Amino acid sequence: MKFLLFTLLSALVVVFLNIVAPYWAVMIALTVLAGIIRPSGWGGFFGGGLGMGLVWLGQTVYISAVTSSTLPDKMGALMGLGSGLNLMLLTAVLGFILGGFSGLLGVMFRNLVQKKRRDVYLG
Amino acid sequence: MKYISLLVVLILTCALGVLVSLPFGQIPPLAPLLDPNHGFWQNSFSEDQLAEETLSLENLNAAVEVVYDEQLIPHIYAENELDLYRAQGYITAKHRLWQMEFQTRAAAGRLSEIVGPMALELDRMTRRKGLAYGAEKGISYITENDPATLALVEAYADGVNQYIAQLTDARLPVEYKLLNYRPEPWSAYKSLLLLKYMTDMLVGDRDLEYSNLKKILGKVNLDRLYPDFPSENDPVIEKERVWDFTSAAPAKPDSLNYPEETLQLEPLAQPTEGTGSNNWAVSGKKTKNGNPILANDPHLSLNLPSLWYSMQLSTPTHTVKGATLPGALGIISGFNENIAWGVTNATKDTRDWYKITYQDASRKAYKYGQEWKPTEFRIEEIAVKGQEVFLDTVVYTHYGPVVYDQSFKSDRQDVNFALRWIVHQGTSNEQKTFIQLNKATNHDQYTEALKDYAAPAQNFVFASKSGDIAMRIQGKFPLKWEEQGKFFMDGADPRMEWQGFIPFEHNANTLNPERGFVSSANQHPVDSTYPYYVFDNSYEHYRNRRLNRELSAMEQITVEDMKGLQYDSYNLQAAESLPVMLNLLATYGASSKEAQKYLADLKSWDFFADPAKKGQTLYSIWFAETSESIWRELMEQGSPVVRPNNYQTIALMSTSPQDSVFDVHMAEGVQTAEYHVRVGFDSLLVAMKNWESKEGDYGWADYKKTTIQHLVPNFKAFSVAGVYTGGGSGILNATGSRHGASWRMVVELGSTINAFGIYPGGQSGNPGSRFYDNFIPIWAKGDYVDFGLKKKGDQKGILFKTTLK
Repeated sequence: MKFLLFTLLSALVVVFLNIVAPYWAVMIALTVLAGIIRPSGWGGFFGGGLGMGLVWLGQTVYISAVTSSTLPDKMGALMGLGSGLNLMLLTAVLGFILGGFSGLLGVMFRNLVQKKRRDVYLG
Repeated sequence: MKYISLLVVLILTCALGVLVSLPFGQIPPLAPLLDPNHGFWQNSFSEDQLAEETLSLENLNAAVEVVYDEQLIPHIYAENELDLYRAQGYITAKHRLWQMEFQTRAAAGRLSEIVGPMALELDRMTRRKGLAYGAEKGISYITENDPATLALVEAYADGVNQYIAQLTDARLPVEYKLLNYRPEPWSAYKSLLLLKYMTDMLVGDRDLEYSNLKKILGKVNLDRLYPDFPSENDPVIEKERVWDFTSAAPAKPDSLNYPEETLQLEPLAQPTEGTGSNNWAVSGKKTKNGNPILANDPHLSLNLPSLWYSMQLSTPTHTVKGATLPGALGIISGFNENIAWGVTNATKDTRDWYKITYQDASRKAYKYGQEWKPTEFRIEEIAVKGQEVFLDTVVYTHYGPVVYDQSFKSDRQDVNFALRWIVHQGTSNEQKTFIQLNKATNHDQYTEALKDYAAPAQNFVFASKSGDIAMRIQGKFPLKWEEQGKFFMDGADPRMEWQGFIPFEHNANTLNPERGFVSSANQHPVDSTYPYYVFDNSYEHYRNRRLNRELSAMEQITVEDMKGLQYDSYNLQAAESLPVMLNLLATYGASSKEAQKYLADLKSWDFFADPAKKGQTLYSIWFAETSESIWRELMEQGSPVVRPNNYQTIALMSTSPQDSVFDVHMAEGVQTAEYHVRVGFDSLLVAMKNWESKEGDYGWADYKKTTIQHLVPNFKAFSVAGVYTGGGSGILNATGSRHGASWRMVVELGSTINAFGIYPGGQSGNPGSRFYDNFIPIWAKGDYVDFGLKKKGDQKGILFKTTLK
């Protein structure tokens, strides 16, 4: 359940925050979000990854559809990646990795802090 | 264990975040580039999808309205000139910021900052030529003498800077994202620098090569093979023009000594062949509607984003439209409600070289007559991406900068040559000329506007609604004695000095000539009766004659006729030389099947360089190879020289095929023109065999492969290659593989202005926009878009409107 919630909220953070903030600010936000929601380790990784990766993918698809610009193909050729489709995938993968690690980091932080406190109480 | 794994993930995540923000070699930082909200994806939007109803522009006296037509041509309506140029700066930057910045960086010798050490030699050359030095003097000249113009140039700069200040990552031009840098503030200085850069693009000299040729060939042969005037001279100013003034030209001093060394310097880059232009105006008596018609098509390197950017600029007192140069104020080639004007390069050798003799190794003084004159040192600091700053010391004499010296492009320690060039003289005000021309309403005001114009010298064609047509060759031309500056000169001899400048009134011009038209195509400006020394190596010999023949023959001229003439692909050089070559070839090689095929193509060709014509391809190769063979020994003797031009080569082939110039010393026996034509034909067969096996079709457009190249040649995907269009060098439609008509305009000056224009590019500088290259197919076919003046409130054909306030 937490995984789905985290994925959804991650996606929303990317959609709204990324408009005004650069990718690294989104990464910090996802780390914090993961810390608050505290999904499992894998959940943090895949939730953050899917949240950011899918939104980025969706945005590239949306931009390509509404502009029908040749720029993605030109950039693909320029970067030696072939078509614009490959650039979409690359963008999605990059978003997935950045989001994934941010989520994982948040979960691990929270786990650590939580553990410590419990130790204090028990001790 | 938990701590360690947290630490690992923490480090990994941070490293990842940092890594994707760093460039690797040529690869730009990945995350900022791919981020769909800020990276290159955002550059996919075309301007109409991002249309804003209002934009904030401070320092305006009143709101400014900007109306875009369906081609994204902005029509700016301002209440006064200060607002107008502030808005021009803002709007130009909105569509062409990267280009205007890149071009001025190139002009300042600052490309190494962005692209690294690969541009260092180019930057050093640019700085040694003193473009920035000239622009600095130019800005202090207008600061002191023309505060009114300065205020306008500064308003423009403020407009650009306000745009830069508002620029978000998303809207940052994609080239910045790829090259990983950001725009820096614009300034009045940069606008002036841009005009200096145009001079550099358009002015060349062959003094080095002529100095060598004089030594190799001797004076007699030099004059025979490289005459100052061709036998059939068809100059810019009609021959019938009578020069009713006394020349101020100085007499040639006796017994001059020229520097004696054979010069092994690397020549400066020259304006590339094919750089040139056409312009003309026909008077009402030759046109169908009785209105004057003016046409202009400057030929330059074909680049994207295009050098030109179209605009209409309006205040309550004037409305002007045409092509602007992003970075410069006003319209450069265009028309208003009363007049039209256009420009072509007025070629003339105005760059001269002086040998400098230093007193000693410190280079602090140099010989001048009986005295030693002090030098000045200018330290050029060239920032290089990824490396330390490069310091280059350039010595300045009263002539100008010592371009060639011990540290630059010279194989000898004692060779020092200073460059004398009008660009270094700050006493010109080209920007004022264009601002005045934009508002001029008649011939007097046009002439007055040109008084401040020094360089690059241009043939300014003119036509007015009131029925005048005119041509003026305007530039600041040094007064020279016969042959002064044709060869490298001795800077220690004061008699070699320029003797002042040709007075403005004596610059060649004509108003309403009898023949009913004025025209220019980079040919000789005048005939030999003009009482001043005129010389250049690169005068045109074919376009001008074709143009004048057509204009002379035409009557009842319409705008459509003039469009047709701009697109005319008749190859006069081929028409004059192919029969001679076929004759000299006789039956040589005719037994081979391949040769028969090519000869059939050539013999059936009508001399029009249309896209599908095979004859044009074959001729261009055959002539180039023949010329190569004729002048091979001359070109390969070791020091830099230039070939005699095609016109002279063809004249020799047709009138004296037995001439001694055709003899090849390395070969046995005596060779004549016949020999070279046959060698050329053999080379043609080899070249065609290669071409046909690799590329197949050899129609002209497939062969010449016209390419409109992005300003960064590595960005191939942003270029448009293989444009299917005709024309070529020496042809009115001068479109070759990399050069050609960079802007075409035809204006009929009737009671309402009827105007058409086109250029090979698009209004947007953004490769992702649908307006980036949408003009190219129209241009390639020889078609135009409507350039009529738009009144404020005119609702027809509007893409969107923006109010600046």
